[in-house]
Amino acid sequence: MGLLDKILGNDEPAKKADFSDVQSGSSSTAPAPAQTTSAGASTYTVVSGDSLSKIAKHHYGDANKWHAIYEANRDKIKNPDLIHPGQVLTIPDIS
Amino acid sequence: MLRRFWLIPVCAGVVVTAACSKKADTSTDTASTTTATTTPPAQPVSVTGVQLGKAVGADNKVTNETDDFKPNDTIYASVATDGTAPNATLSARWTYQDGQVVDTTSRAIAPTGAAATEFHISKPSGFPKGKYKVEIMLNGTSTQSKDFKVD
Repeated sequence: MGLLDKILGNDEPAKKADFSDVQSGSSSTAPAPAQTTSAGASTYTVVSGDSLSKIAKHHYGDANKWHAIYEANRDKIKNPDLIHPGQVLTIPDIS
Repeated sequence: MLRRFWLIPVCAGVVVTAACSKKADTSTDTASTTTATTTPPAQPVSVTGVQLGKAVGADNKVTNETDDFKPNDTIYASVATDGTAPNATLSARWTYQDGQVVDTTSRAIAPTGAAATEFHISKPSGFPKGKYKVEIMLNGTSTQSKDFKVD
């Protein structure tokens, strides 16, 4: 199998790039909806492999600030260690 | 006495007439109210353009449009929208080469006309070189996308 894979060029699985330290954000000239999010807040859709600390690191540059996201989404998150792909989380503005 | 009985149908007729008149008045009020509250239909929100660049101005529009970035650049996507919506969700989904998701960010907006929303990503350790794409979604539906490269 190893020889065949080497011949076919399949000896190493395609290495995925590491985007775990990507930081992101957004802003808009349009006002935020009155009831869904507070001013300055944005939303984030959970993707596979996410955790609250990872999302906090993306948005705030500090994984320890995951509590802010957890508190803003208590109605959606029962267990802070368990979030699901597709969940839309409110990211509060804590700056 | 006979004169009093003669008055009964006359009074009843007056009451019936008044009741009918009231009903007619009500219909007229309803019709006029409907007419008074009719306003031109609001134009639904739509994405009118996407620009990529390394910086945006105070108006959230890209100041120097490009699709060619360096690994340590902050990459901005400025999304122009027009129309009105009480609650719309704009999302930017950034992907690398074969579709690996780099980042997805959503923002809820309530535009009342032309607006610009910027999404940005950066990577302190540097983006891997290669081809990327940003896909803009409005309320979960893909509207526009832009390809760019990091080299």
